[in-house]
Amino acid sequence: MRIAVEDGLCIGAGNCALTAPAVFDQDPAEAVVVLLDPAPPESEREAVELAVQRCPAAVIHLLS
Amino acid sequence: MTLPTLPLPREWELPFDPPPELALLRRTEPVVRVACPTGIDAWLVCDYAGVREVLGDGRRFSARPGQVAHALKSFDPHSPVDGQFSRLDGAEHIRIRRNFAPQLSHARRLDELRPLVRQITDEAIDRLLASSPPVELHVTFSRWITTAVIAELIGVPPADRHLLHAAAQALFDTNTSPEQLQVALTPLFGYLYGLVGARRADPGDDVLSRMIVHSADSDRPLTDDELVMMNGALLIAGFDTTASLLSHGLVALLSMPAEWDKLCADPSLAPSAAEELVRYLGVGVGLLREATEDTVLGGQQIKAGDYVVAAVQSANRDPALYPDGDRLDVTRQPGAHIGFGHGAHTCVGQQIARMELITVLGALATRVPSLRLAVPLSGIAFKRDTVVRGPASLPVTWR
Repeated sequence: MRIAVEDGLCIGAGNCALTAPAVFDQDPAEAVVVLLDPAPPESEREAVELAVQRCPAAVIHLLS
Repeated sequence: MTLPTLPLPREWELPFDPPPELALLRRTEPVVRVACPTGIDAWLVCDYAGVREVLGDGRRFSARPGQVAHALKSFDPHSPVDGQFSRLDGAEHIRIRRNFAPQLSHARRLDELRPLVRQITDEAIDRLLASSPPVELHVTFSRWITTAVIAELIGVPPADRHLLHAAAQALFDTNTSPEQLQVALTPLFGYLYGLVGARRADPGDDVLSRMIVHSADSDRPLTDDELVMMNGALLIAGFDTTASLLSHGLVALLSMPAEWDKLCADPSLAPSAAEELVRYLGVGVGLLREATEDTVLGGQQIKAGDYVVAAVQSANRDPALYPDGDRLDVTRQPGAHIGFGHGAHTCVGQQIARMELITVLGALATRVPSLRLAVPLSGIAFKRDTVVRGPASLPVTWR
């Protein structure tokens, strides 16, 4: 699984870090998404897919 | 030709459901022209895919007219935006959100705030259990808790909290005129200018102080006007929407005892129960957008400048999201509902609201499992003439 984020449009809602904390974090200054693991294991797929759907700003992309 | 009227929730007929007309439209004509009660005409979109598309695309669908200008007479969709962040688009709006987010929706910050919400909830339940049933739960419990949480976060002492209640009463009343709204907001906004000055001089650890300190290092620090507007919005929306959802949710759970019993048997279901209530009941009046260009939505041709009402609650009941979406199920695996809205303007306080709902539902199910409505469901009076839906009062009893 490969993931990319467009942090320029991130509003820091926090849903990704709360849904898939092993894959996403937030930077301390603006709470903007930080991608911890651009190629997480398959075991994270369900959580990542949910994080993609729950991202209000649609800035998380599942590439494969 | 006279347009059909925008269907709005009628809790006194159907306490928990969107207007049934919307379920029909979702199947037959998910994008349809309607007349709104404030005098504007709009496209009503009521299916999940369509609502998600509109709210998720701020480039094609601007927030400029105001989130609820289709329902509130005090909102003029043509008025100057004047820095109101809920009406900003694009980079200007993202700047404001990035001043909110570190205080309200950073996962680690939420861990710091959890003990406060627990303490306020425990205090409210201690008081409830020390009283003799029946009692009224909406004002004395739900609204008390959510007021205390947001006021403590921003640092508004108990003696000043009546200012929030008066402002919310006027802001969310569908019949308030623009002039009446200005008058009604003046005491709170005047108070907040004083608070901003005090916190600039002597910052504490509250949200307002943290916003001041945080933005001071940025290219464009927040102005006093912006700080007043941001914190005023948090104070007003922060207590009333969450309290109303909590009370409305409790009416639903207590009138569907199988769901309440499931939660009491396993209070660790509180997170999924809270999420389900937001999906089931959230944003009944919908959200307004304005098309920025000629475009197509659900097969309908939309012109630049046309208004669009996104029927959020109907979207969350769309069988495309859940085949049995009209059923309340506290064990439902929380998915991609849009009960806090969607897109860049999604509820800025949603993580705090979640925390409050989860904490209160879990604590009530643990400590007061015998909680019951003190009157039949048909005897619950629901608020009318407001965009923040829910019961006007919530009489309950327990053993």
